Amino acid sequence: MTGAAPLVRFSQVRKSYGAIEAVRGIDLDIGRGEFVAIMGPSGCGKTTTLRMLAGLEIPTAGTITIDGRVTNRLPAHERDTPLVWQSLALFPFLDVAQNVEFGLKMRDVPRAERQARVALWLERLGLEGFEHRPIDQLSGGQKQRVALARSLITEPEMLLLDEPLSALDAHLVVRMQGVLTRLQKELGITFVYVTHSQSEAFAMSDRVVIMGHGEIVQIGRPREIFRAPRNRFVAEFVGHNNILSGTVTQGEIDVDGVRLPLAGVSDGPAEIVVAADRMEIYGSPPSSPALKAAFVSEEFAGAGVICHFEGPGDLELRAQVPEARLAELSPEPGKPFWLAWAADSPHVLTHREGRT
Amino acid sequence: MRLPILFFRLYLLALFCFVFAPIVTSTVFSFNSDRFPTMPLGHFTTQWYQTAFARPEVWEAFRNSMTVALSAATLSTALGFATAYTDFRFGFRFKPAYLALALLPPTIPLVIMGLAMLAWLGQLGLSGTITGIVIAHTVMAAPFAMAICRLRLQQMDASLEAAAWNLGASPWRAMRVVVVPFCLPAIISAFCLTAAVSFDEFIVAWFVSGLNRTVPVMILEILQGNVDPQINAIGTVVFITSITLVVAAQLLLLGRTAR
Repeated sequence: MTGAAPLVRFSQVRKSYGAIEAVRGIDLDIGRGEFVAIMGPSGCGKTTTLRMLAGLEIPTAGTITIDGRVTNRLPAHERDTPLVWQSLALFPFLDVAQNVEFGLKMRDVPRAERQARVALWLERLGLEGFEHRPIDQLSGGQKQRVALARSLITEPEMLLLDEPLSALDAHLVVRMQGVLTRLQKELGITFVYVTHSQSEAFAMSDRVVIMGHGEIVQIGRPREIFRAPRNRFVAEFVGHNNILSGTVTQGEIDVDGVRLPLAGVSDGPAEIVVAADRMEIYGSPPSSPALKAAFVSEEFAGAGVICHFEGPGDLELRAQVPEARLAELSPEPGKPFWLAWAADSPHVLTHREGRT
Repeated sequence: MRLPILFFRLYLLALFCFVFAPIVTSTVFSFNSDRFPTMPLGHFTTQWYQTAFARPEVWEAFRNSMTVALSAATLSTALGFATAYTDFRFGFRFKPAYLALALLPPTIPLVIMGLAMLAWLGQLGLSGTITGIVIAHTVMAAPFAMAICRLRLQQMDASLEAAAWNLGASPWRAMRVVVVPFCLPAIISAFCLTAAVSFDEFIVAWFVSGLNRTVPVMILEILQGNVDPQINAIGTVVFITSITLVVAAQLLLLGRTAR
């Protein structure tokens, strides 16, 4: 998302709490109307980054610019950066309509207009008729939508979301993802979505920002992150990847004595990633070279079954196999299989010592 | 299994009997026509209430006690809430010391507290005044108010207040529209309880009250003169007042916690 001036610019932003550095100098531009997911394991600084954007934390160093204006120290209540909280933080002593109109009330919007806008937003989120329901009588999905309506009613340019779906049941998560992406497209506003869930980030966002240990490790479209992780940290975090190391000679990589195809890489030691869905499995030794590995377990994943294997030297291997194909192979723990890939499937990790 | 439960229930029953027997006795004799508490009972009468409340000093004492209880409850609830909120919201270096200090007054022996208050209020020229009793009772009751408010604040999602800021409420406004409403049951409950503490309190009030006697101080003075069923009548009114306040406080606290 380049071109026009970004809505948000983080420039060398740091945040420390005493001796602990939560965010260590990040640079990030977020465009208007963009859906950005900030993803990383717990403690990676993603929530702190979001809180700085909302004015709930003051950066220790660096600048955060929103709409061309440096906003490091602008108090939270003077910004228009509503946040959907992980706990939702709905006001339990107010009913649905009172929760939703809260932001307007704080801006001293007249009563008649408040009511009209509450009605509009409740309708938009399918909450008509719930106006006077107490919060504790709503289902998880309804609470979620109340939280969204409450944040969006002031019609901000940007919505911040802090793992808002983490408390929902799996079937509701998918439905809410649909609601969120639809809303974001309809309103054309910027969504900054913090999550540790790869599937949420990849399903919804235009760009994914991977954070680790307070730094940004990689920024890219979901597909780029998935197919071309920058380093081992990203490859491991994204999951369902096989990370292998070996020595490359003449278009082949030697992994534990087995020479497997690897196109376009010069000789020398290398670390490569093969996504689980690019891994082929065979029930008997194929004519071409393949890694022999013992079947460990299977994990049903909708589009296919992720099979886990133990290869030479305790190497953990995964392959995504269509359900029908797996049934033919009749796997059982300890049974040997052979794994291989097409020459153009592996992605080479640029940094061998990729951990940040 | 059955026997220990039965035993426990009997024990509980005995405990309540032990606690309430004197109060019940006093109430029963307050409606008894005989001058002295003897069995069998005489006939039912409200004459002791009539004579007791015909005395202007009894009304005076009740007025004093009410003024003191309401003022001390207001002040100590405000103080207790502020202390509890400080603890909830801020982390600072000497917090354990701060909390220990805030919770200290109930651990001080009442006689010592009374003497100290007498000396200090005397220095300030407040000894013997209603203001003096209010100050003493505020000091004694604030820790209870703080404990109750703290309990409620512990149930509050810390992001609730931040959510209010995030939606455009200044810190003061967020306090008014989010924190106080959330804590309201606890605040009312703290008010009732601290009013009850003040209304019943005798020792410290006896030290500092002077001529502005509160009800418990007046009861002692009447008792020193002569034993009379009027005391039972006054005692019953005091008991009903206090128990009403305490029960109201409990209902408010339990009603909200149960949800």
